[in-house]
Amino acid sequence: MARRLALAAILLCCATNLPAQNRMPDWSGQWEIVGVTPTADGGVQESFDQVLKEMQWSPPNKPEVQAKLDQIAAAERKSFEAQDQGAEPPANGPTCTWGFPAVMLDSPLMFEILPTREETVLIFSGREVRHVYTDGREHTPKDELWATPWGDSIGHWEGDTLVIDTIAVKAPARGAAPELLPIIAFGGGGGAARFRMITVANLSSEAHFVERIRMVDKGHLEDQMTIIDPANLTEPWHLSRTYERVQHVNRMVYEDCEGEDRNPIVNGHYTIVPPPSHTFGSPPAPTNAPAGQSTAPN
Amino acid sequence: MNRVLKFGFVAIAAMVAAGSALAHHSFAMFDQSKTVTIQGTVKDFRWTNPHVFIQVMVKNDQGVDEEWSIEMTSPEHLVRTGWKPGTLKPGDKITLNIHPLRDGNIKGGQYLNGTGPDGPLIGAPQPSPGEGK
Repeated sequence: MARRLALAAILLCCATNLPAQNRMPDWSGQWEIVGVTPTADGGVQESFDQVLKEMQWSPPNKPEVQAKLDQIAAAERKSFEAQDQGAEPPANGPTCTWGFPAVMLDSPLMFEILPTREETVLIFSGREVRHVYTDGREHTPKDELWATPWGDSIGHWEGDTLVIDTIAVKAPARGAAPELLPIIAFGGGGGAARFRMITVANLSSEAHFVERIRMVDKGHLEDQMTIIDPANLTEPWHLSRTYERVQHVNRMVYEDCEGEDRNPIVNGHYTIVPPPSHTFGSPPAPTNAPAGQSTAPN
Repeated sequence: MNRVLKFGFVAIAAMVAAGSALAHHSFAMFDQSKTVTIQGTVKDFRWTNPHVFIQVMVKNDQGVDEEWSIEMTSPEHLVRTGWKPGTLKPGDKITLNIHPLRDGNIKGGQYLNGTGPDGPLIGAPQPSPGEGK
């Protein structure tokens, strides 16, 4: 009897290709992208060259796409060179959303992964969430589907590897070409600007993403991503990223856009507005003045 | 020193040109080419999103206290490096290395690293000695 039950369990496991309940992978804890560990001064320690090398940024762009990207990259490099010479970059609008695939490739935000049989949920500290349905369903029907920064994801398990299929992704911010999804590599720079961000690909709204996420050792996960976009790429683009468990943290800590309006221009320069003093149980002080002009109570 | 990428919800101005933006706000107000050292007493440690601030009272050349606002990265990033809301308390004597605001008329800067009552504060690798304050 016991042998029959064991055989039945094995058959059920293999038939669904799901790990048995007691074998669901232990992906608990908080995760961060290796190389994007933040420092207390707001930086990370990974040079742009390292980023390009480690992330295998070599998209097989179509020649006409590459020609446009070269123009964009030239403008970006020019901007950084100007910042190296002391120019202040233009103010940018508030955007709290990284979106997919940036949350998996380049984001400094930590995240949790909650795998269950029916669905795996990835929760990022910026309050972005990816829902990956593994209950055997198909993608959302076309007449019910619209593009979002996180796309439409379904998946299945191959042993302890989660395979995710994502479509209907759009860029989180409205730009000059909102129909395109820019893939941007960035890393540390040597000049005053201190970083470099270069657009390496511009995907179409038809881009299709396949990820294979697995634990490579006790403390590391790997995401092997393939991007398929016949409109803009000559062949599938393969990338990989490694994640490690976050140190010092045993719970989710949130990011948000609170205090977005504290960059006034004073004397021709951007400045800062420190948040009001605030303690639990008391309302914040009713003031927000530029630094050095604080009227917060002493 | 490894090159440090300033981007913790940063200013990623180039992305505007690229048609995107992933940042809360700019660090452009800080002069990244200068490092200044300040010594003073913590008035308040403002632990809040999107960025944390150290309000510190610093005596100027005339011996008069001036309030400086030192901006750090986000709470989420700070806890990952070991900081806590109680790491600094009002009255703590501290020494901080900062990138000052470009506008020298306003007392403020971007946190790099420093020393608190219990020793070194977690931060970027120690830079070359800055201008004394």
